[in-house]
Amino acid sequence: MAEERLFASDAFQLVHTEEKIHDKKLETKPTTFFKDALKRFAKNKSSVIAAIILAILILLAIIVPVASPYNITNVSTSEKFLAPKLFESGTGFWDGTRKMKHVVFDTVNKVPAVSEKYTVDALASSLVKIKVDPEPTLIDSANQYGKNGLVMLATDAAIPGKDVYLNSKSVTFTAAGNERIHVVLDPEEDVQGSKLGEYKVFLRGSDGTEIMIRDFSSDYSEIDFDISAALKEAGKTSFNAQVVFEVKSTADVFRYILIKSIETSGTGSNAEKIASINFTDATAMVILGDKNADGYWACSGRKGIHNSEIYYCDYTIDTYQLVYGNADKVTYSATELKRWIDAGWCSYDEKVGPESFVRLTDECPIDEVVSQSVNSRTKKLNSITGSGYNFRKLGYKTMPKFLFGTDASGFDLFKRAFAGLRTSLILGTCTAAFCFLFGLVWGAISGYFGGNVDLLMERFCDILGGIPWIVMMTLFILHLGNNFFTFFLALCMTGWMGTAHRTRTQFYRFKGREYVLASRTLGSSDIRLIFKHILPNSMGTIITSSVLMIPSTIYSEATLAYLNLGLQGVHSFGVMMSNNQQYLGIYPNLVIFPAVVMALMMVSFNLFGNGLRDAFNPSLKGSE
Amino acid sequence: MGKYVVKRLVLALITAFIILSLTFILVKMLPFERPIGGDAQQIAYFDKQYNLGYVYRFQAVKSEAFEAENNAKFGEYLYRSPVDRGTCFYYYKVPVLEQYVSWVRNVVTRWDWGYSKSFQPNVSASVIIMSRIWYSMRLNIISVIFSVPLGILLGIWAALKKNTVTDHTISTMVMIFISVPSFVLISFVLRVFSYDLGWLPSSWPADTSTLATKIKGYIIPVFCLSFSSVCGYCRFTRAELCEVMESDYLLLARTKGLTRRQAIVRHALKNAMVPIFPSILAEFIGILGGSMILENLYGIPGIGKLFILSLNYKDYDILFVDMAIFTTISLLAGVVLDLSYGFIDPRIRMGAKK
Repeated sequence: MAEERLFASDAFQLVHTEEKIHDKKLETKPTTFFKDALKRFAKNKSSVIAAIILAILILLAIIVPVASPYNITNVSTSEKFLAPKLFESGTGFWDGTRKMKHVVFDTVNKVPAVSEKYTVDALASSLVKIKVDPEPTLIDSANQYGKNGLVMLATDAAIPGKDVYLNSKSVTFTAAGNERIHVVLDPEEDVQGSKLGEYKVFLRGSDGTEIMIRDFSSDYSEIDFDISAALKEAGKTSFNAQVVFEVKSTADVFRYILIKSIETSGTGSNAEKIASINFTDATAMVILGDKNADGYWACSGRKGIHNSEIYYCDYTIDTYQLVYGNADKVTYSATELKRWIDAGWCSYDEKVGPESFVRLTDECPIDEVVSQSVNSRTKKLNSITGSGYNFRKLGYKTMPKFLFGTDASGFDLFKRAFAGLRTSLILGTCTAAFCFLFGLVWGAISGYFGGNVDLLMERFCDILGGIPWIVMMTLFILHLGNNFFTFFLALCMTGWMGTAHRTRTQFYRFKGREYVLASRTLGSSDIRLIFKHILPNSMGTIITSSVLMIPSTIYSEATLAYLNLGLQGVHSFGVMMSNNQQYLGIYPNLVIFPAVVMALMMVSFNLFGNGLRDAFNPSLKGSE
Repeated sequence: MGKYVVKRLVLALITAFIILSLTFILVKMLPFERPIGGDAQQIAYFDKQYNLGYVYRFQAVKSEAFEAENNAKFGEYLYRSPVDRGTCFYYYKVPVLEQYVSWVRNVVTRWDWGYSKSFQPNVSASVIIMSRIWYSMRLNIISVIFSVPLGILLGIWAALKKNTVTDHTISTMVMIFISVPSFVLISFVLRVFSYDLGWLPSSWPADTSTLATKIKGYIIPVFCLSFSSVCGYCRFTRAELCEVMESDYLLLARTKGLTRRQAIVRHALKNAMVPIFPSILAEFIGILGGSMILENLYGIPGIGKLFILSLNYKDYDILFVDMAIFTTISLLAGVVLDLSYGFIDPRIRMGAKK
């Protein structure tokens, strides 16, 4: 079968009939190991993102401590514990407000009862939202914001015969005044693990005689006793006496009685006088105790409180308004005012009075003068009273905004965190650089020469590496103090061995290769072989491990701070975090924000390191 | 092989001895801290130190001439007991190297590691350690029991679903969680479960509390301790299993007709476990150590907490013993790790030259 030709034979022509074939120059661009690694690194998305985050964090660590105007060195307790603020107030999220739950409510001033010394006005004006419990909570302790309740008079030992007394101050009762005493008791049983006891009530006269109101009994009904009648019966016109409650002590358990109120009544001018022993609010009576003449009731046993009513509230408060907000009627001395006038912040004429105040610049702490006080004799200005924003008084031109809030010392947490991070990064970089260089040289010598040199160097590493880093750090800190240099030294002591070990392994791998042999045959020196031929090949792994030393250094520093061995004298991230740990319950932002920064840093470093490792690994070349 | 094991153990022992010697000398070179307590306690402490050979004791009539002479010879006296029947005892510091010789003798002949000076005055170090080590151990054993199976299972799961959403999720989570420092994790867990939700106690329950509270008290520490090791095992197992799954012998196993399950269970898993098992063994040694940060933050009375306490009390003898424990544990873990490779994997010939 004849083949059908698709092409005519003259359609082809031979190349290279005349010319010789030479090596041609490569048309693709030559690439180096590092360029190639960079290209492969760029393909790894998560590592690139990590690198960007890392770069941002490092930039922040460089810029923030320098650029932020806020204070992280001088303790300013009035500005402590401000909430984090990013958005304007009222947005409800990250706006400088703080939600507090289950806080005692001050029913008199209608504000939450906070332990810090804020004025009622400031508190009231900064409240964003408040929800007071509709029903009071009953507690068995004396709270200054509590109300009502029952006075609990209890024996302080379960010993028979050791009765306890509760006695009023001495007042004079009269037979003519139609005077009565009204005592309300409460029959509640088994309070606070004790038992109701037998009791008696009587008047104990200053002359030593007694008039019984109710003798020992277990009858807890109301007592309504006609004192005047009893006095008449005893043949007295007036009787100076104390009202005394006595609770009988028994051997088995603690005994108590509960008194709700005591009221006296009568006619004539004496009624008011004897009313001084009255009380209807048991909580107030217990708290005031002998401080207040009206509540003077002395006790030989335990004077406690049962079922005191307090209200709890949940509230949201604008901490910035609280600390920096409007402050009315603040008094400033004439010297302070003079300083402002001299500085050109405002002008004031004391002869004209408050109307003459003119605010010239933003530095001026007050907005207007409400009143002035002039020395009546010398006619000189003593002081002025003005109103304005507190932040001006504290030295700010505008309302400050703390991104992470402030800590117990009133320091800006954002600036402090990044100042600490800067220290950590410097420490980490210095350590990594030293360990990199030292480990490289050590590993190179050990790996290249091998033999006895290697053996000795390895044993040395074994011993040094056998010491746990925490032990090493502790010993260094105990001997040299916890300063930056000690940390650097101690971290270097434990850090370089990793690099040395890796370098040594790489040298063992490469030193027998043909290219090394070839170079040696050509007469290269050891130094040249090490640094020109072997080292560049193992650079990738070693660089990666050195980069990963930075986060581990940061981690070590923070860990030591948690063990009370933190870096002193410089801003330290770890020390800041461990100091703030105690506020985790109340002010979680103090821990959570730095923790997030720390975690972000660590995650980015690790992802970045992983990407770097993959990029530098020649065996992965072209596998994607 | 037996020879190699013995050689490794002896080497580790020598290393430990050198490290402990260095630590001892460095600790003893620290400035002397007076023990706390009244004269009776001080005398008891110094007499013990004298018996151990760490101080000199002289009985003499209290005189300035005697003090001047001996202070010149031995340095300032550490303690002078009150005058009793005309004389008093002077205690002087023995030079550090001589103390070191005494220490070696005490440990070798009597297993005497010294006494506490201010933390629990005059209680022997071994008693203090023994009373605390159980807390650390118990906690760590529980966490290992939880973390090893969990970590390995997660790793296997990720490896079997390699390059799927499951795998990526697990790997990313592991990556993130392994990077989060332990104190950050503890802070978050405490915040959420103790303060916000109030489910768990915010510190270690006292020995007198109820069984339920005690069990609850274990949850946070065990969780925090297991966390990083779960991540570690997961990552390790995934990497190993992935490598094995791509090997030729697994392909052969499939080719000869084994199902995927059979091939994985009988061939892949067994081989993947080879490098994982030693690290589990090493972790079991590490359980003695506990976590200092966790013990400190959660108030667990273990030997990690002891480290901080003895540091705060400047009770350096106890600190030294605690350091010795940590050093020994880490060395032992290293040896066990190395040796177990050889026992598990017959292909690795231990101590072979090439």
